[in-house]
Amino acid sequence: MSVLWTLLGMILTIFLLLGIAGFLVFAERRVLALLQNRWGPNRLGPLGVGQALADALKLLTKADFLPSFADPWLYRLAPLLVAFSALAAFAVIPLSPDISWAGDWQIGLLFILALSSLHVYGVFLGGWASGNKFALYGAIRAVAQLVSYELPMGLSLLAIVLLSGSLSLGGMTSAQSLPYILLQPLGFLIFTIAGIAETERLPFDLPEAESELVAGYHTEYGGMPFGFFFLGEYVSLVLTAMLISLLYLGGWHGPWAPGWLWLLGKSALLIFCFFWLRATLPRPRYDQLLHLGWRWLLPLALVNLMGTALVAAGLRWGWL
Amino acid sequence: MPEINNFTMNFGPQHPSAHGVLRLVLELDGEVIERADPHIGLLHRATEKLAEHKTYLQNLPYMDRLDYVSMMCNEHAYCRAVEKLLGVEIPIRAQYIRTMFDEITRILNHLLWLGAYALDVGAMSVFLYCFREREDLMDVYEAVSGARMHAAYYRPGGVYRDLPERMPQYEPSPYRDARRLAELNANRQGSVLDFIEDFTRRFPGYVDEYETLLTDNRIWKQRTVGIGVVSPERAIALGFTGPMLRASGVAWDLRRSEPYAAYADLDFDIPVGKEGDCYDRYLVRVAEMRQSNRIIAQCVDWLRRNPGPVIVDDYKIAPPPRETMKTSMEALIHHFKLFTEGMAVPPGEVYAAVEAPKGEFGIYMVSDGANKPYRMKIRAPGFPHLAAMDEMARGHMIADVVAILATMDIVFGEIDR
Amino acid sequence: MQIRPKQWFQSFFLTELLRGMQLTGRYFFGRKFTVQYPEERTPQSPRFRGLHALRRYENGEERCISCKLCEAVCPALAITIRGEERADGTRRTTVYDIDLSKCIFCGLCEESCPVDSIVESRVLDYHAETRSELLYNKDRLLANGDRLERQLAEDRAADRPYR
Repeated sequence: MSVLWTLLGMILTIFLLLGIAGFLVFAERRVLALLQNRWGPNRLGPLGVGQALADALKLLTKADFLPSFADPWLYRLAPLLVAFSALAAFAVIPLSPDISWAGDWQIGLLFILALSSLHVYGVFLGGWASGNKFALYGAIRAVAQLVSYELPMGLSLLAIVLLSGSLSLGGMTSAQSLPYILLQPLGFLIFTIAGIAETERLPFDLPEAESELVAGYHTEYGGMPFGFFFLGEYVSLVLTAMLISLLYLGGWHGPWAPGWLWLLGKSALLIFCFFWLRATLPRPRYDQLLHLGWRWLLPLALVNLMGTALVAAGLRWGWL
Repeated sequence: MPEINNFTMNFGPQHPSAHGVLRLVLELDGEVIERADPHIGLLHRATEKLAEHKTYLQNLPYMDRLDYVSMMCNEHAYCRAVEKLLGVEIPIRAQYIRTMFDEITRILNHLLWLGAYALDVGAMSVFLYCFREREDLMDVYEAVSGARMHAAYYRPGGVYRDLPERMPQYEPSPYRDARRLAELNANRQGSVLDFIEDFTRRFPGYVDEYETLLTDNRIWKQRTVGIGVVSPERAIALGFTGPMLRASGVAWDLRRSEPYAAYADLDFDIPVGKEGDCYDRYLVRVAEMRQSNRIIAQCVDWLRRNPGPVIVDDYKIAPPPRETMKTSMEALIHHFKLFTEGMAVPPGEVYAAVEAPKGEFGIYMVSDGANKPYRMKIRAPGFPHLAAMDEMARGHMIADVVAILATMDIVFGEIDR
Repeated sequence: MQIRPKQWFQSFFLTELLRGMQLTGRYFFGRKFTVQYPEERTPQSPRFRGLHALRRYENGEERCISCKLCEAVCPALAITIRGEERADGTRRTTVYDIDLSKCIFCGLCEESCPVDSIVESRVLDYHAETRSELLYNKDRLLANGDRLERQLAEDRAADRPYR
């Protein structure tokens, strides 16, 4: 019986997340517009929120086609992988110390990193199975970018693990008597940049650079499969924002309001900052992107890790 | 031994950043370009052929549509060519009006160029900010000629109508209360010249904004410094003109070397670059926008103080005013002859060029004494620039092709004509 | 390589990127420039070149005298005219077509008309659902003129000193 309730609850969570992703699609357009001295969608529904529903309906009613030169199984599998890897990660995100689907699983962080690697598969298959040169280019770029930025991400997270002593997200958040952004400013910077690169947002959106490769790895997708890629991107955006709030900004710690409200508030602020970045910054060239990841972020992440390790060891063994 | 071929890719013609219809066939080795081959002609509209079958007045709207982001400069080159053949001197007020509108056109063009370039490289907000300034300038175009873009304002002999004394105002609407309406209409209370002067006062602040977002931005510099470098000798050999040439270090500007209209009497500087890469071209064009602002301010000042005729008095070239046409028989006959048969231009051949925002826009016109040109050849500034695409793009990557194409300020209307 | 502290600081703390973000952030809270069409319009001058109309005199007589100047000057050959003597002996058109799919809205027809008959109004938002609807014949143009006469007369009067 409780299995049934859990299942129902999970399905509800998934729909909620997809709904949030749909709302974010609209919110991004609105926020980008406001930053660009114009209004954005403001005709449908109050303040234009109906636009999200309109977009969703549009994608649902479009033809679901299979290009003749595409590999049928992989073409259908790719969007599902991308959406799955984004959604499944929410199983381990705790909204407050006692609200979490996986119940503060001890290797929650590892699970999330593993799912982000699965995301790479989905992206690459999408590009390759489309049978289109542009899509292949986009896929190649995307894979290289994702793989390069996973390393600094993981290393900056390792420093947090050192400080908090656990791999579970709940444990790491609870251990923050002081938000880790104060103890790990470099790590915060690295993780934020790597996180933005992982979700392929401007300034790191080369795989889907509209002005260069039409649409990159999802050129040949339309209708709901494209919708899955799209939703997967926004869900992983929410995931990144929540991770940063949990791990660096103190998560659910905060006076007066309930913990989950603080978490959601911090994530919303971060998402607004991501939109802000998108409106302002140009995008680096592909090799400059990889250059940034390998020659700057990786060494800095290593330095950060070593520094944290030395300080932690020093504190424990009484050098400091 | 397996044969390794280069990967050939079609960039365009339907592409969000191919700047019009350009089919660029790229031979790639990974992401590095081995060869770039532009295929043009997808926007060919037979302008030169049509010009041979239309009178000199009917050809004028075609000139707008050549380089469709810098409209009045094209008209200016055409009018200069016809006036040279006719041997007429246009009134001084018309020359200042033409100068002012040429510079307004230059700002229009560079704003669109900057917006499109930033959008291609990823900074999408600059696009929207640039277009907001364009709105004000297009309102000026509309107040003076009736159309926001293709004005057909210049005529052989001067300009069609003088600048209006009233600027159109915003109307009340459910979204604008009285206070907001007054704010919007604040700079439209005077004549067009007052509106333009207000624009020249605000504009340097706006250019500072674009520079804040782009000039020092490390990502922008990474994308543009060292890309598409052209040495000065090579630039001259390839036939570059305009900002492309000046960014490579060659100080050549038609407004200074062969002054036309009122440029000889105006005080402005010509920005010249050093390296000849995309960053320098960007800096040169932004500086040109500031200089254009200066020129416009001087022209506004002069035009305020010096009323006068704006088109030649000769009814064989320019139509008479309507009141005169309705009362005087000779004026009516001239009106009829001008609008049906057109003006008769003495035989001869002439080349007239202007410093269009993209470079040297020239018209080579051959007349055999009829009312239609015998041959009109258009020298488009973008044509040699695009022809140099291969040389500029070799060894760079696909993302750089986008940057180089944008920096050349290619508009297909003038390349394909 | 000499590293100056200020440059190092700017390089690590991404100062110019943050200044760019500050600029866009200011726009977030500022007034927006959008004109909410169709409730709001951008300003139009009396010289605006929009949809064509054929005008009449005060007493209701149509102005057009079939002189065919507009047909001759049109660069796009969009105007087709056929004229004939009317029953009361005056010279009038029987066919006056403007093919709006050819017209480039240059205003030369308006400029050439000696009796201020063919004019361009301020209407920019007409539409047609078939191509034949884009071919405006004399009745439709006269109807346009009757409907818009007040605005047309005002605009011509405002522009008279300049022509």
